[in-house]
Amino acid sequence: MNITVSVGDMKTGRNGDILVTHALGSCLGLMVFDPLSKVGGLLHAMLPLSSINPEKARGNPAMFVDTGVPLLFKSLYEMGAVKERLIVKAAGCGNPMGKNEIFKIGERNYTVLKKLLWKNNILLKAENVGGTASRTIHFEVQTGGVLLSCNGARGPL
Amino acid sequence: MRIEQISRMIKAFPAMPGAALQLLTLANAPGTTVQQIEAVLRQEPGLTANLLKLANSAYFGIPSQVGSVRQAVLLLGLKRMVQMVVAACASAIMDRGVPGYDLPAGELWRHSLAVSVAARGLAGELKIQAADEIFTAGLLHDVGKLVLGQFVQEDHAQIDSALAQGMSFEAAEAAVLGIDHAAIGAQVLAQWSLPEKIVHAVRWHHAPESYSRIDTLLDVVHVANMLCLMIGIGVGREGLLHEPSPLVTRRLGLKPAHLEKVASQTLQWVSDLSQALTVA
Repeated sequence: MNITVSVGDMKTGRNGDILVTHALGSCLGLMVFDPLSKVGGLLHAMLPLSSINPEKARGNPAMFVDTGVPLLFKSLYEMGAVKERLIVKAAGCGNPMGKNEIFKIGERNYTVLKKLLWKNNILLKAENVGGTASRTIHFEVQTGGVLLSCNGARGPL
Repeated sequence: MRIEQISRMIKAFPAMPGAALQLLTLANAPGTTVQQIEAVLRQEPGLTANLLKLANSAYFGIPSQVGSVRQAVLLLGLKRMVQMVVAACASAIMDRGVPGYDLPAGELWRHSLAVSVAARGLAGELKIQAADEIFTAGLLHDVGKLVLGQFVQEDHAQIDSALAQGMSFEAAEAAVLGIDHAAIGAQVLAQWSLPEKIVHAVRWHHAPESYSRIDTLLDVVHVANMLCLMIGIGVGREGLLHEPSPLVTRRLGLKPAHLEKVASQTLQWVSDLSQALTVA
């Protein structure tokens, strides 16, 4: 089944599902896969820290990297995933042109992700982050394959 | 010549419905009465009903049921109410897909709504007084894409090579096609006789530093547009190939927290408003 993950959302799937998310600009797309239990999840988080809007974070933790990433891992553990086996990939975190730091939400999203992963001893298997392009992700839960589309070009991540 | 073809298309662009135009004029005229407003609204079937649906939308959060035009004017204010009518009229032309920018049907409209609500949200967050027209300026800022899209599509190879040289998307449009979507949008809105403030904001929304004056409305729309592209609303082929102005950032006193707070609310605002704006 094709499952679409909208902005500020997280979805998990099992063998046979394809998790899709569109238009990753400065948002973080995080794909996590357990090859043995064949479960996977995709997070499309918009903003780095939930402290900017705690009320929103209570209703919708997937909107923020600091609450969305733990939610994704926890949901997969509940489905039988095991931390040591997980394959983690990241995409998105783009920024506008120029050096305006205020607008570097993508960079801040990536920094918070790296801190969280580092604290939990998790490494990124692959990443396609930064730059100015809008990205789309197709994540096939059967194989763990992640297909990244960007300006008409498609390729595995 | 491309530029002549483009000019012809601008001239042939659909007109703004008469009622919306008359209301905009009335809203800016002193001494306008509710009876005058009601009379204009009656000219277009369904307009009064659409307006009341909007006034009752979750976006405005008016606790009591708005049952009449008089109540809507009272609770929303005349100017805000007129902006809503313009929005209801604009949705009909801005709902379609836009080739060249790779925007599927509905996505330009969603982006337009998002920039409107994010602009209002930013003004609130920054505690600045922005003109009432900010909503309409946000809503119509990309109307030029409806004209330019097919040309961007036809000349995409040249646009791609301009982009590869490090140009912003609007600079690539101007370099290859002789005009960018902001300038086209401003011409369309001038044709519609929209207030100058809105026309200028649309003209300079990618280049606020090139405008000869300083206008908070323009500055806020510039920032809101960038933010909505960043959070993926209406971001297609152009990606994030625009440069947010450091001067505008300073002028507004903009901080990351302002941007992120508004971003965290924008999707909800868009959803609240678009439910009331679905084209009948």
